[in-house]
Amino acid sequence: MAHYSLKINNKIYPVNTEPDTPLLWVLRDDLKLYGTKYGCGIAQCGACTVHVEGMPMRSCSIPIDSIGDKTITTIEGLSKQSDHPVQIAWEEADVPQCGYCQSGQIMSAAALLERIPNPTDKQIERAMKGNICRCGTYSRIQNAIKSAAKKIYDEHNE
Amino acid sequence: MMSIMNRRDFLKVGSKIGGGLMVSIYLPAYGKSITSDQTVADIEFNKFISIDTNGEITIMLTKHEMGQGTGTAIPTIIADELEADWSKIKIKQATYDPKYTWLEMGTTGGSGSIARTWDAVRTAGAATKALLKQAAANAWGVDPIVLEVKKSYVTNRVTNQTFRFGELAEEAAKLTIPKDIDLKKPGEYVYVGKSVKNRITKDVVSGNMKYGIDMDISGMVYASIERCPIYKGRIKNYDDSEVKKVKGVLDVFPIAIPQKIKDRLHPIMGYVYDGIAIVASSTWVAFKARKLLRVEWDGGENANRDIASLNDDMGALKDSPSLMSMDLGDVGPCFQNPENTILEMEYNTPYQTHAVMEPLNATAHFQDDICEIWVGIQDPEKTIDNVSKALEIPKEKINIHVLKSGGSFGRRYAADTSIEAAFISKKIRKPVKLTWTREDEIKNDHCQPYLKNYMTAAITPKKSVEAIENQAICTIDYAVWSTKWDHYYAFPNIRCHRSTVPALLQYGAWRSVGEHSAALSKECFVDELAHNLGKDPLDYRLELLSHEVDWGDPKEMSQVAIERMLPRKKLLRQRQIEVLSYIKANGLWSKEEFYGRGKGLAMMCFGDTVCAEIAEVTMEGEFGYRVDKITAVVHCGMVINPHFGKGQIEGSIIWALSAVKYGGVEIENGAIQRSNFHDNKVLRIDELPKIEVIFMESDERPSGLGEPGTPPLAPAVLNAIFNACGKRIRKIPVTKEDLVESTSKI
Repeated sequence: MAHYSLKINNKIYPVNTEPDTPLLWVLRDDLKLYGTKYGCGIAQCGACTVHVEGMPMRSCSIPIDSIGDKTITTIEGLSKQSDHPVQIAWEEADVPQCGYCQSGQIMSAAALLERIPNPTDKQIERAMKGNICRCGTYSRIQNAIKSAAKKIYDEHNE
Repeated sequence: MMSIMNRRDFLKVGSKIGGGLMVSIYLPAYGKSITSDQTVADIEFNKFISIDTNGEITIMLTKHEMGQGTGTAIPTIIADELEADWSKIKIKQATYDPKYTWLEMGTTGGSGSIARTWDAVRTAGAATKALLKQAAANAWGVDPIVLEVKKSYVTNRVTNQTFRFGELAEEAAKLTIPKDIDLKKPGEYVYVGKSVKNRITKDVVSGNMKYGIDMDISGMVYASIERCPIYKGRIKNYDDSEVKKVKGVLDVFPIAIPQKIKDRLHPIMGYVYDGIAIVASSTWVAFKARKLLRVEWDGGENANRDIASLNDDMGALKDSPSLMSMDLGDVGPCFQNPENTILEMEYNTPYQTHAVMEPLNATAHFQDDICEIWVGIQDPEKTIDNVSKALEIPKEKINIHVLKSGGSFGRRYAADTSIEAAFISKKIRKPVKLTWTREDEIKNDHCQPYLKNYMTAAITPKKSVEAIENQAICTIDYAVWSTKWDHYYAFPNIRCHRSTVPALLQYGAWRSVGEHSAALSKECFVDELAHNLGKDPLDYRLELLSHEVDWGDPKEMSQVAIERMLPRKKLLRQRQIEVLSYIKANGLWSKEEFYGRGKGLAMMCFGDTVCAEIAEVTMEGEFGYRVDKITAVVHCGMVINPHFGKGQIEGSIIWALSAVKYGGVEIENGAIQRSNFHDNKVLRIDELPKIEVIFMESDERPSGLGEPGTPPLAPAVLNAIFNACGKRIRKIPVTKEDLVESTSKI
């Protein structure tokens, strides 16, 4: 057992756990932050995507011991009132079917727009191909990302 | 006009103190609700609707929300008939309760949730509205005819006075329900037919949506199970000494249900793989420790089988006598006539895995003699039945709390996770959450069964098909039901039969079940026939549908067949003709003329829904072919929510295209060789064809959309590949090797 102080969603969380425990299971089982989902455990599906220092990462494959003092953002901390432009766009486009993969999709999309504010279709595909949706909401995801990009652009140019 | 439910189903009054905690006080019919200064009375009008004196309306959701949207769509139907303000409606998941009929609760599946609840929920909404209206009429001393009900208000059109539903609820509940209830007619709906937003979306985007896997109860421990990788295999011996050394491991024990009990369980719903359970302080510890387990399995009857041996077993039955499921006319002489040409083809649809996004799970708490289970499940009633038999506890001691799930697609019919979690909790006497790994989910799936189908036609010298015969060879007589081999295409003589070989893998429902397998052989073969006869595939289908198949003499049919089957056959034939005519009239079907690009058409019925799809392919790229576009034309009666409906068809197409591109499973020594998304691939966002979905306009009763988009996809793509390059592929998945011997366009 080792002790960690994790910086998650602008809060400090003390955790006692084994060093090889993936961040995903610390979030879910220890901290009860259930918005981050388990999908595959081997960084193949993207359901567990969180931001580590702003970068989209698969939390199922990051041992807690490697986090150090890096800041982590989960879906619960993406915005104060679920009003990140990506979340608003997701609601407007009514993207989810079962919704299980969507927090991972939203975290990947938010990170993409941070890096490329106005992505082309190809750039969206490249950034989002690590996130599987078994319900097949992909075209709605694409549309929501474009609409979120427009929202961000409009905000900056008001 | 509909007659309505029993009076005793009506009117249950509870009190809601401080608007929060609800104390249910069930009073006899005509009873009075209890109110005080701080109490809000909550009046349960029927099994679906309660209204409190503040006007809050609660709709009980009896079906399982798993991504298909009925968790929103069914309540909109109720709200519509009730004339309630949708934005103020609360939706509550109903716990399993035998007071709901099979149609009302029963199974969530078969694309039937809306069709099956359609009458009950509309009647519940309309009856409640009638009572509220009558209560207002009584209060004002006017004829109800002058009243208008809209957005949770009753308005007197003469005086403009209004009542809120909440103000009327108590008085309304004392009234006698009118004998006949007026239901809305097409054109009168407010929400039905509109893309009302999904009620789960807000929680999903904030990360607050709770699925079965997110269940959390105080004192809960975590479990994982190492299961036998072979269907019907058993535990021979195991060594858990290293597992027990891992810090956080609380218990290790086998789950092996005795054969005599297994024999009593439903073969699909109740099948549980033998395994060793690891109980630990966290999910991760359970997963990690499990890897240190050493188990020797007795593979049993399937230990030496694989896909090649299964194919041999099936092929050996080709000419053997088998169960006749349909025999119209006289096929024999047509096939014996030396002047006729015989065309025979073999089609294969393999085992398919589900790979549902939310890994399987269940949480159970066995205390005193009550077993509580929290699980996302498609059939709570059968789950209770199978848990009861497997654990030998009375049904009435089992409570199932249905949670939302991250996609079911047929996999969550099975009671296996509930049985396992209950087994563990019963043994350790603690609440436990069981989580399957992704590897478990794929290796111990209940797969879509394998089907090999031989189709044969006798073609006359004048180029017409005189007889058609099909011999279906299945691993199990499930999901390939005989009726699915009925042909709406009216060949003069038709014979269908089937044989079964023992299943190699555990089987289950997979989005669109038997229709998926049936469509591939039927729709590819019809395309081959059209080509052979020199006819256009669409025109040929219309020609075949232009007269009714001789289903037999009604005098020899049962009453049920006359009342239910014949009208349904007629409806489906009508819908197929309408769909094909629409495609033709709107120029959606014209075959490509140049090499390397092609179009293919296929159509299938699922329930009372008809879906035709046109696939456009280009013969290039990594796979040797690329699907550029799918156009789906769907006839499902009324569309309750076009956004959901379109999403279901798009999702079904993507689901089926994953199977065409990456489907099937490799098997060695009886065990599935795939394990996770790297080798059990599914479609990703960069592999999408363009998808266009067209719904036929209709006022007819809704008939379901969750599955009908899946069956026509594979045959449409295979027919398009033929059109593009002249190569017939008669199986899925389509590999580059299948396309190598590609010949020039015929």
